[in-house]
Amino acid sequence: MNHQCHWTEVENIFMPREATIVRAEQATPTEKHFTLAMKDGRAMEFQPGQIVELGLFGYGEIPIGFASSPTRTESFDLVVRSVGRVSKAINRLTGGDSVWVRGPLGHGFDLAGLRGQDVLIVAGGIGLCPTRSLIQYILDRRDEFGRFILFYGTREPCLQLFRDDLACWRGADDVEYFETVDVGDDTWTGNVGVITTLFPKVELTPETRAVVCGPPIFYRFVVRELDLIGVPRENVFVDLERRMKCGVGKCGHCQINDKYVCVDGPVFSFADVQDLEEAF
Amino acid sequence: MTTSFIRSDDFTAFLAAMLEATPVYGPVAKRSRFVFDRLESPEELRLDYDVTILPPRKLFFSPAQDLLRFDEAGPAAALEPVEKVLFGVHFYDVKAIDQTDVLFAERNYDVNYMAHRQTTTIVAANIQNVSGRAFFASVGTEVRPKGHDAFLTAVDGGYVLEARTERGEALLGYGAFRPATEAEIDEAARVNAAALERCPEKLEHGTAEIAAKVRAAFSDDDLWSDLAKDCFSCGSCNTVCPTCYCFDVEDTWNVDQASGQRTRFWDACLTEDFAKVSLGEGATENFRETPGARFRHRIMRKAVYLNPKLGGPACVGCGRCSAACTADIADPVRVINRIMAS
Repeated sequence: MNHQCHWTEVENIFMPREATIVRAEQATPTEKHFTLAMKDGRAMEFQPGQIVELGLFGYGEIPIGFASSPTRTESFDLVVRSVGRVSKAINRLTGGDSVWVRGPLGHGFDLAGLRGQDVLIVAGGIGLCPTRSLIQYILDRRDEFGRFILFYGTREPCLQLFRDDLACWRGADDVEYFETVDVGDDTWTGNVGVITTLFPKVELTPETRAVVCGPPIFYRFVVRELDLIGVPRENVFVDLERRMKCGVGKCGHCQINDKYVCVDGPVFSFADVQDLEEAF
Repeated sequence: MTTSFIRSDDFTAFLAAMLEATPVYGPVAKRSRFVFDRLESPEELRLDYDVTILPPRKLFFSPAQDLLRFDEAGPAAALEPVEKVLFGVHFYDVKAIDQTDVLFAERNYDVNYMAHRQTTTIVAANIQNVSGRAFFASVGTEVRPKGHDAFLTAVDGGYVLEARTERGEALLGYGAFRPATEAEIDEAARVNAAALERCPEKLEHGTAEIAAKVRAAFSDDDLWSDLAKDCFSCGSCNTVCPTCYCFDVEDTWNVDQASGQRTRFWDACLTEDFAKVSLGEGATENFRETPGARFRHRIMRKAVYLNPKLGGPACVGCGRCSAACTADIADPVRVINRIMAS
């Protein structure tokens, strides 16, 4: 057998590191926003768009995209939606508790390719969590990018995440922020309609780089709008969700055709995945 | 490296000396069939086996393999590999091990597999009896087995042992070997070539041709739903496959409710929930919802997707899936020959 490594010299890719919950906030009835710091005091070094496996011993691990920018080094944010056994157990935790993380894992956004360009981010629902990492990154290094446009859509107003951020973005002059809800309520005075109803509100050029993250149904409609503007599909980046069980390209659960979302993605250029029949 | 000969009369003593020195795993009878198991005595070894129920992968990647243990203090390694000999592996299973070696080492090196693999000396053996569904002679013929340390062939009056590595060479010390003659080496080659003539099933086309046509059939939903219409989604085809390596990971508590382990279990992409994710409030999204989509994924994995990495198909022609399938629809030969004929 001819392999470069000898097993005694290699770290176990399944061994997690301890992180402390600095802050835990119930963002919506089902989503909890955690701010974490590594127990050893070292910064978590990652790229926007990458994921971690977030775990709790006795329960398991779940893949979560970073929801904060690596430019903010003291801590990092993860938002966990209570859906299964692991996420429900994690969402019972609070400030001071420990969790265990493996990562960063996978491929994030191509920051070099985005620099100097106009950037449009289209986020739907919980898709704002992984894109918030890139949003913060751009805002922290604002002069490295051209125009910055952000579209955010949720089903209902009560499902909006990061309300403090939204309030800030609404009035900010370094991001052109537009939001919508599928169904409004008594308090809602903004746009009502699906995400594509935001496109007529702003002039976009074909040179724009677009980042899209939302529920599976979302992509087809958003990409259609981007096609109409003339944005080439290699400049459209999608952040895909699958069951990334191991996070290291082995367990097979997250495969889209021959791609492993956890190592080949979760961020892909649309051109690279549009011909994969299992992608959308 | 040398090629040696040992007389049949001396073979039992060779095995006995090896068993004395190190754990040895080999094919043994289990009721009417065969399994790889730890040899307690030389007499248990059944080199006349046709195929084992499970492939030898289980020695490196067991059906339930602890990845770590945990208690209140945190996690600890669970890896305790043991030096051993895996004796009597047919060449198709060696090819499958070669593939999992590549796949566990690439990108993120998986020490949990590699440690067990690197502490195993593999002795391949010629195929004396051919299973009823085998097609190893016609699949991936461009790929030769390479992960073994020695190759044993039964010939008239004894065995020819071709050492391929230092570890294989070291086994000679356990028995009364002498250098093989040209005639014995030639006979061993003839014996191995003859086994290839005895496969009951046969692919009619080459690897590249199959890969192209099977890939092109991806969107033929009628084809896949027809192929899978009797599928029970049980995953037996995956479980017995020597090149399947997907797994699930699960934490379990010990009775003290304070310590436990994180364990990976063999999983199967044919099962209904393999690609299912929870969306909350009871809602789910299944990225491979129909039996046809799952059946297609398996065939694509075996005939198409991994070929660039492996240099050939991720199928070695053992025929285990064909025999294990309750509905008898898993047979890659029938599936591929049907697609090629369409």
